[in-house]
Amino acid sequence: MSQIRDHTLGDRAGPVAASGRDRVLGGSRCQRRNAVSRAGCGLPGSSGGHQAEDLLVSHISINFDRTGLQADWNVAFPLERLKELAADGVIGSVAETHYSFMGASDPIQMEPHARELAGHLKRDQVDSVLLCPV
Amino acid sequence: MCTRAVSALAHYLEEEGLATVAISLIRPQTENTKPPRALWVPFELGRPFGPPGDAAFQRRVILAALGMLERDKGPVIIEDFPDDDPRWQLDPGWRPPPIPAPPATGSAEALAAQLEAEIPQLRDAHQRWVAQYSRTAVGLCGLSISECCRYVADWLCGKAPPSPREAFSGPLMLRFAVDDVKAYYLEAAAAGTGKPSSRQLGDWFWNETAAGAAIHALREACLASEDDRLKLIAGNFLVPAARVRGTG
Repeated sequence: MSQIRDHTLGDRAGPVAASGRDRVLGGSRCQRRNAVSRAGCGLPGSSGGHQAEDLLVSHISINFDRTGLQADWNVAFPLERLKELAADGVIGSVAETHYSFMGASDPIQMEPHARELAGHLKRDQVDSVLLCPV
Repeated sequence: MCTRAVSALAHYLEEEGLATVAISLIRPQTENTKPPRALWVPFELGRPFGPPGDAAFQRRVILAALGMLERDKGPVIIEDFPDDDPRWQLDPGWRPPPIPAPPATGSAEALAAQLEAEIPQLRDAHQRWVAQYSRTAVGLCGLSISECCRYVADWLCGKAPPSPREAFSGPLMLRFAVDDVKAYYLEAAAAGTGKPSSRQLGDWFWNETAAGAAIHALREACLASEDDRLKLIAGNFLVPAARVRGTG
C-alpha cells in the first residue's frame, strides 16, 4: 500500500481530510467524502508521502499502453476531476491522501492492509471510497 | 487482477463501515468477486476513466460511479457505463510521425536494420512529447533508446546478447527493452495537438512500423527457443494478447 498526497493542500504532518457536504448523495449520507484507491501506481520501493505529480505506473502489463496515463493521470487517478466536483459543490470534499495497492495480490493477504487502510480513511473522516483498477 | 483486487478492498472497507463503489474493467471478474457496488466500463486496461485529455468524459464516468453510492438494493449491484469505448473514436486529423518505409518482409537482419533506422526518425517527435508532458515511460531497462533498439535487434538476429545490467537476466532485459521501444514509439506518435485513439496508435505501431514487425518476429523466434524463461517472456510479455497475429 502506498500513499499519494495532494500537494496543493500543503505539507502537513499527516493526512487531513477537508470537511464539507456531499450534495449529490444527499439525505442521511450527506457527509460523505471521497478518496481514491487503485492498483499498480505509486513510487517503486517506497510506501508513502508521494506527491500526485510524481505518480508512476510500476505495473508494466503488456496488455495496456501507459501513454494515456503519462499524458493525463486522471485516466486512472482522477484527482483533478474529483476536486472539480468538490469545487462545483457536487461532492462535499476530497481527501488529501489517497492510496494504491498492487493489483496482482492475493485477496486474503490483502485483508490486514485493507483494514489498516480503513483506519487511515476513518481518521481522515472519509466516508466513501472510489476504487479504481488500472 | 486489478479488478479482483479492488473488489477485495471493497468488501473489507464496507465491513469497516465505509461506502465503496468500484470501477470494473473486467466484468466477469467483478461478477465472480461481487463487490457491493461496481460500475463496469467498456474501456481498455490502463484507462479506467476514459481517454486522456477529455475532462468531460472522465467526469461522466465518475458521476456514474458516485451515483451508485445511493443504491442500497444490494448486496451486489453492477451497472454498465452506457458510453462506447473511446478507443474506437478515431481522430481523422491525426498523422503518425513520418518513417521512411513500411517494414520489410525479408530476413531478420534486414528487419533489425530497419528498426534501428527508424529511431532517429522519431527523435524529434519524442522530444516534443517530453517537452509537452514533462514525463516519459521510457527508461525501464536503463539504456538509451538507441542501445535499447540494438539490444532488441541483436536478439532478433539470434545473437542472444548477455544482459548489460547485472540485476536483470537476458530475457528480462529483453522484456524491458521491448517495453521501452514500444513506449518511445507511442509517445512520439501521441505528441502534438492530435488526439489519436489508443486503437489508432496501436494499429500504427503494430502494423506499420519496423519495430512492431520486429517484435512480432521476435516473439515467434523466442517461442521456438528451448529456453523456458525466454518462452515465458515471449509468450506473455512481448505482444499484447489482442495484437498477437491471428487473434485480431
